[in-house]
Amino acid sequence: MSTMTSNGRGDGELFRGYLNPARPHAGAYDEMFSADASVRSAYRSLHEVLAPSDVADLSARSDALGRAFVDQGITFSLSGQERPFPLDLVPRVITASEWAKLERGIVQRTRALEAFLADVYGDGQIVRDGVLPRRLITSCEHFHREAAGIVPPNGVRIHVAGIDLVRDEAGTFRVLEDNVRCPSGVSYVMENRRTMARVFPDLFARHRVRAVGDYAVHLLRALRNAAAPNAADPNVVVLTPGVHNSAYFEHSLLARQMGVELVEGRDLFCRDHTIYLRTTEGERQVDVIYRRIDDPYLDPVHFRPDSVLGVAGLANAARAGNVVIANAVGTGVADDKLVYTYMPEIVQYYLGEKPLLPNVDTFRCWLPDERAHVLDRMSELVVKPVEGSGGYGIVFGPEASAKELNALRRKVRGNPRGWIAQPVVQLSTVPTKIGDKLCPRHVDLRPFAVNDGNFVFVLPGGLTRVALPEGSLVVNSSQGGGSKDTWVLAPRSSTVESELSGPGLVQAVPLDGVATEQGPELTASQQQQQQQQ
Amino acid sequence: MSWRLRVTHTTEYRYASPVTQSYNEVRLTPRSDRRQNVVVSRVETHPATRAYRYTDYWGTVVTSFDLHAPHTELSVVGSSVVETGGEVAPTGGATWTDLRGEDVLDRYTEYLGWTDYVPRDRELAAKARELRRGLTPVDAVHAAASWVHSQMTYRQGSTGVHSSAADAWQAKEGVCQDYAHLTLALLRAMGIPARYVSGYLHTRADGAAKETVQGESHAWIEAWTGGWWAYDPTNAIPIGPRHVWVAVGRDYADVVPFKGIYTGGAGAGLTVTVELTRLA
Repeated sequence: MSTMTSNGRGDGELFRGYLNPARPHAGAYDEMFSADASVRSAYRSLHEVLAPSDVADLSARSDALGRAFVDQGITFSLSGQERPFPLDLVPRVITASEWAKLERGIVQRTRALEAFLADVYGDGQIVRDGVLPRRLITSCEHFHREAAGIVPPNGVRIHVAGIDLVRDEAGTFRVLEDNVRCPSGVSYVMENRRTMARVFPDLFARHRVRAVGDYAVHLLRALRNAAAPNAADPNVVVLTPGVHNSAYFEHSLLARQMGVELVEGRDLFCRDHTIYLRTTEGERQVDVIYRRIDDPYLDPVHFRPDSVLGVAGLANAARAGNVVIANAVGTGVADDKLVYTYMPEIVQYYLGEKPLLPNVDTFRCWLPDERAHVLDRMSELVVKPVEGSGGYGIVFGPEASAKELNALRRKVRGNPRGWIAQPVVQLSTVPTKIGDKLCPRHVDLRPFAVNDGNFVFVLPGGLTRVALPEGSLVVNSSQGGGSKDTWVLAPRSSTVESELSGPGLVQAVPLDGVATEQGPELTASQQQQQQQQ
Repeated sequence: MSWRLRVTHTTEYRYASPVTQSYNEVRLTPRSDRRQNVVVSRVETHPATRAYRYTDYWGTVVTSFDLHAPHTELSVVGSSVVETGGEVAPTGGATWTDLRGEDVLDRYTEYLGWTDYVPRDRELAAKARELRRGLTPVDAVHAAASWVHSQMTYRQGSTGVHSSAADAWQAKEGVCQDYAHLTLALLRAMGIPARYVSGYLHTRADGAAKETVQGESHAWIEAWTGGWWAYDPTNAIPIGPRHVWVAVGRDYADVVPFKGIYTGGAGAGLTVTVELTRLA
């Protein structure tokens, strides 16, 4: 792979030293190369393109990516500072058959979580039947008794789910955590794709990549379906905490793409258990609120009385059936990290199926024998707080000092319900541009599922987050992570829309005739030249 | 011996300047059970509102309403006619071993845990250990309630609506809410599942018919010792025909009779009156 060709290009130069056996976490599954350095089938044609490129070409494209992102204003907040969310130029590829398996697993999981929530805020059969301890539910921080007895018109509580997946040393996808409150990140999926298609159209010509641009169509369908059947033309709004929220870009993008109003709490009010939007033409009743505000801020009557982000009276309006909150209030009980460990039981209980996607092995500190094991082997485990997101509070045992571990042991003993521990899962790696080279960096995957009540749609792809520092296993954007475009390849026989598959880009289009009569639009041949500059 | 009682619970707010928006929830509707039969019950507001009624997580009937016309006075009247049964005897049979059993711990986990009003307190836990020594769970409930009754002095104004059991224990005085919280703290420290009951008490034990008395919005406790049974630690009496219950929960926060938020109208004056009439 390291032979130099006569034109001065380093064939494979970018990958030199890629599989260095001395790298940290060398046992991790690399998605491009198998252990014997041969290229895996999913990445074969991507490798063919990348391997002969030289450093200058790669840098030019990487700069173009960065510029595109800054131009579009896509940022996230890191410790209070707005920064562009770095997009790596090597996409992450998932084959059609891998995806089919993932999709089935995500749909199954979403259905099980829906059934679980309906039960928890309804009769609690799973507790009565002794499958789960009642304590597990009542001790969840996000179990909101205020939501008990609220039944959404079409039964859906999780309109959008983000299931975080990692790939272990054997290459098996496992669920790391579920996000069913207000999962964010889907705007990066769409924007990453748009940017990549602009900078790397040649790569898309060699792959049949399934499109992600129609996410908003599915979301809008799910939200409209969620409205009470009496609302013939439901009025859907996106409720944002405001421009200072780190995901405001996403809120505005989704509202724009769905063609619905983007509102803040002060734009809405509740009268007689009905929600109205103040407009210049007077009040307009709101049927569905896609809210991106956390439960505690949603309704000052029931939750934090000092919150000005939400709408007073909203929870009872939802209870009265006059408005639908998406995702429903109290869904957080389903993505509690301790409830997560009971997912196999939950899937079995409600669906009578075995889980298609395994969990990461997890020790529950609230069970005495598992706690003893954790306290004993803490230096080999990753210890995570049950509450908290963004990677805050996680302790990697192997990297922690004896003093830190002792402090952690005290915390775990003091609040066993608050902690879980997992073996250090060596997340899979994908080539990532670091400096002038491509190096293995750890990634996870957050696919998005949208439930419209009849059908759970899983956006083909999802957000691949990559940990940029060498050896780091923390991929959160708030911890200095980046992202990758995630390509789900279409099966060879399928007719699904693939990205950039419009007739204008197919290389075999004849160069004469109709193509030149398309007016100011670029013809196929011109476009090809532009791409290969 | 059973009574028929009319309860009228009136809450009146007066604001110094007009209130333009107000969202409220009230818990004023008694419920029927084996001991108590609700004949009729309604909640009325002035100004009139379109109220919405639902049953919350704890099984309490909640009336929710909002006001948008500017107003300087708001009155809410909950009135009910209720038939009450005779004196409640302890239901028991559970031993201390039963109470430590996994299924009891799990089923009644919410009534064994600590809350803001009923916090874990070292001193009270020591007292609880001392009180339960040599007693059955049923007798321990009586012992805890009598101890609270003997230690505390009933005095209005010494504690507020947000005072916890620990605050009341420090002050050694309080009202029925504090007596109930303090008893709950002792019972939970003993490992007896216990819950807060809000309701009304007819103040005359002999209760002449047709005579209206100024009653009170009252609170007492229920304990689980093989079955739920109630006791009134404020008066150190069993629950009888004079008690009308409305709601149960872990503590006061779960059963607040009147809760709301409003904009405008600084400086609210509040008057609460409870009138009870024995009808039969």
